[in-house]
Amino acid sequence: MNIIECDKVAFVKNGNTILQNVSFVVGEGDIVGITGPSGSGKSSLLRLVNLLQSPTKGNIFYKGKNILDYNPMLLRREIGYVLQKPYIFAGTVYENLVYSYTVRNLQPDKAEMLAFMDKVNLTPDFLDKKRNEMSGGEQQRVAFVRSLLVKPEVLLLDEITAALDEANTEILENFIRQQTETKNITIIFITHNIEQLRRLAQNVICIKDGQIDFQGTAQKYFSSREQ
Amino acid sequence: MSNWALALTYILPTIAIIISYRERLGLERDIIIGSIRAVIQLSIIGLILKFIFSLDNVFITSLILLIMVYNATLVAAKRGEKIVHAKRISFVSILLSLIITLGALILVKAISYTPGEAIPISGMVVGNSMIALGVLYKNLADSFFDRRDEVEVKLCLGAKPREAARGLIRNSIKLAMAPTVDSMKTMGIVQLPGMMTGLILAGTAPEIAIKYQIMVMFMITGSVTIAGFSASYWAYRSFFNDKAQLYDI
Repeated sequence: MNIIECDKVAFVKNGNTILQNVSFVVGEGDIVGITGPSGSGKSSLLRLVNLLQSPTKGNIFYKGKNILDYNPMLLRREIGYVLQKPYIFAGTVYENLVYSYTVRNLQPDKAEMLAFMDKVNLTPDFLDKKRNEMSGGEQQRVAFVRSLLVKPEVLLLDEITAALDEANTEILENFIRQQTETKNITIIFITHNIEQLRRLAQNVICIKDGQIDFQGTAQKYFSSREQ
Repeated sequence: MSNWALALTYILPTIAIIISYRERLGLERDIIIGSIRAVIQLSIIGLILKFIFSLDNVFITSLILLIMVYNATLVAAKRGEKIVHAKRISFVSILLSLIITLGALILVKAISYTPGEAIPISGMVVGNSMIALGVLYKNLADSFFDRRDEVEVKLCLGAKPREAARGLIRNSIKLAMAPTVDSMKTMGIVQLPGMMTGLILAGTAPEIAIKYQIMVMFMITGSVTIAGFSASYWAYRSFFNDKAQLYDI
């Protein structure tokens, strides 16, 4: 079953065409990698899917319904988005993670927080740390956990391993794979790292100059590159 | 104070004009025009107030208060160019702060609704609310520009615009209130406020003048907070569209 469908999506900002005629489908539980040169419109595409901005033309459907017909707040809780630049709120990591509960009017579950943190190699003492006490990679992992705690069905990840070392990248990739396998979460991630694309993606979308240059299985993508 | 003595006080702006001329500040013309305008405007308003006080009519007093609120609205709204409906928001917020503050003072019998008391008191309430709203609008717009990432991350987590902007709203109210709170802290130590000074100079006993000043201080704190609170929780909506997306600033 398709969970996300983009139909001839175009996006124009300040008179500049960022995306045009973008159409693709994403199946439930898929891991889709989006790649392409910098400035090609990858991040803009994720912003549209998360409804941070609306398409200028075309439609995006989530579970068969146009995303513009959803309550934006409820939609964003189902389609989580971890931005390229992790923004950690003022206060401790604990306060950051609590936000994911209070936004849904739920009581914070510290045990759950610690379990998620453990999966991405963050020890319990991180709960008391503030943003200036963490590296970029640690902040990115906190932002990732913060989004996961909202329990999204789809997670959009914008180059979230860019600031991570190899060991932590592997840990995060394994965790992402595990989320898909055990919770059937659909993952759409942006990467410039071709090896990461090879390791993680089942399907690949390549965007160039705001248009889809390739879409298909990862296997097909890599065999086309080798030719 | 005799009129002659008052005229002689023009010696002080004259000193300012001389300094400006010698130091080539280029302010001579502004000082001359400004001082003449101040004398004419204050004389006219003095005559109008004398007339209104003599009428002692509730409707005319209320009309004067509304005119004051409207003028303050225009000034405050100018600072809120990026706020949609800045005039409407300013008018309602300043009026609300005036109704609550003046109402409370009348209710506790601190003042009565006579032109001699209601008009000067309202002038202070409206003037301070107007300044606070100007600061608030500017700060709110700057915050939405500087802290855009924070707001968007909160939106991504499913927050409503109001929740996503709460930190910015609170900060803007705080900044709008800061001058009032600071002046309250230093009152009597750093400054003898204008109203109290005026009363003492006019012959009121200092202990009475102080009582009025304390009332004014509390009144301004209340009115600035009410106006700031009302305007900020209305104005933040200007930065979002109906899809809970941030507009580009």
